[in-house]
Amino acid sequence: MLLEFETVDYTYPHSSQPALQNLSLRIPAGKRCALLGQNGCGKTTLFLLANGLYQPQRGRIYWQGVPLRYDRPSLLKLRQKVGLVFQDPEQQLVASTVEEDISYGLCNLGLPEPEVRRRVAEAIVTFDLTELVERPVHHLSLGQKKRVSLADVMVLQPELLLLDEPTAYLDPLHTRQLMATLRQIQAMGTTIVMATHDLNLAYRWADWIFILDRGQLVLEGTPQTVFTQRETLERLQLGIPLILDILDQVAEVLHDSDEPMQGLSDSLRNCILEKLTDSYSSQRENQDKLTG
Amino acid sequence: MSLQIDTIAYTNRLRKLPPAHKVGFAIVLLLLTYSSQASVQLLITVWMSIWTVVYAGVSATLYLRLLFIPVAFWITSLPAFVINGVERAQQGLVQEDVWQGIAWGNFYWFLSHEGMQQAGELGRQTIAATACIYFVMLTVPFTELIEILRCMGCPVLLTDLFMIMYRFIFVLLRTANELWIAQQARNGYRTRQRWIISLGLLVGQLLRRTLENYRQMSLSLDSRGFSGEFRVCHSRRYVPSKRYSLEAGLGCLGLVGLVGWHYVVGI
Repeated sequence: MLLEFETVDYTYPHSSQPALQNLSLRIPAGKRCALLGQNGCGKTTLFLLANGLYQPQRGRIYWQGVPLRYDRPSLLKLRQKVGLVFQDPEQQLVASTVEEDISYGLCNLGLPEPEVRRRVAEAIVTFDLTELVERPVHHLSLGQKKRVSLADVMVLQPELLLLDEPTAYLDPLHTRQLMATLRQIQAMGTTIVMATHDLNLAYRWADWIFILDRGQLVLEGTPQTVFTQRETLERLQLGIPLILDILDQVAEVLHDSDEPMQGLSDSLRNCILEKLTDSYSSQRENQDKLTG
Repeated sequence: MSLQIDTIAYTNRLRKLPPAHKVGFAIVLLLLTYSSQASVQLLITVWMSIWTVVYAGVSATLYLRLLFIPVAFWITSLPAFVINGVERAQQGLVQEDVWQGIAWGNFYWFLSHEGMQQAGELGRQTIAATACIYFVMLTVPFTELIEILRCMGCPVLLTDLFMIMYRFIFVLLRTANELWIAQQARNGYRTRQRWIISLGLLVGQLLRRTLENYRQMSLSLDSRGFSGEFRVCHSRRYVPSKRYSLEAGLGCLGLVGLVGWHYVVGI
């Protein structure tokens, strides 16, 4: 286990409702995790706790089996290993040009200048920012700002990357580019946890899913197992991915029709799902080839 | 306007010249504007404008509009310089200084020769000095100015503050603009009364959002390992140009010579 929450409570000051309540959650190493839940279910708070920005009022958080400590040097180390990309890039970009902003975290670690330059140059190539290097941050578009904020964090080579709604406000093209970059990041051995509202994206991308509701973990598992729990998901008003919904409806239609069609529905469903998984993985490979 | 200036500072044709050269050049000329000769000030104004408009490629209309700002201030202060008043009985004492005058009530009001001379001097100097400042503002990005300050030994606390303020200005401008547009879209500025109410809301919201931004920013600074000093690295390469250095050097020498010559002749 990379990061582990054990019966954690957190309530914001001046708030009557706890943001997280008796939350226990374990993030497995090397996986692509998606964190789903309604607005205000505690996703962002969970990330801020994971980054050591807040301290839990009850319970404990463990990094690789060791409880978090909140003194300065320990926090500095933790934040190098756990990278957090905020939802609004505007709040994360602090320096005035792209290159300076990427170098900021490295300079904070006190690395020697040639090392900083080398790593910044690498990140610029990896995240395709060459044309933006000298641009001031406030001249960038939202998609570009998101890319820079991801580079800001990845340049520190974290072991765990936390992304707070990375696809919010992004168009399909930029979302696709982002997903390609994430695949690259995962290939380098980084565990990724992404908070998102996009069920389709979560279904296609993740291999482990957490569902939070009112500060508690209600479901976890592989997308296949989680999304078959239709009743729970509907009770939480989350819904299920479009493709599963369609398949279920097809099955229903087949079920209601003539006798000989029965029995076909299940095999048809499995067949289509298998095809889809295959096509996703081949798509993935293709894109990896392109980006690689 | 401020955004436009910022964009130009990052995109002008003299961007690649070392910022220290540009700032040094402007400072030398700025000091020269303090010599009171009209010819020198006029030459500096023209020469600086050529650097800004022709060499750096700043649009002439924008440049003139910017130059008009100090001119407007100068015009508003003209009456204070030029119009003088004395009591009737003392009219004889100022007779030499009077250009045109009228008696009104117990006082004698007149346009003063000396005042006009002073105003003219001030006007020339203002425009020449502003031309120098605008050259720096329009060709050197703010971050590079901060860097020069840092090299000159300015305290880190100050340069850090400048840096963060500079970043915040744009966040604030964007927020204000978004709020303004959202209010316009719902007819928030239809009548004078609504106008005042909407503006009040805008200012209040701006304060609230600024505080929120501040909180978020301190979270993200912590998350990125802020350790009390704001340090960044860059790999910008500046390319000094022989042609521009030569023109700047020779021009400055010429102007210093001219000032010296005026001075000697004056004695």
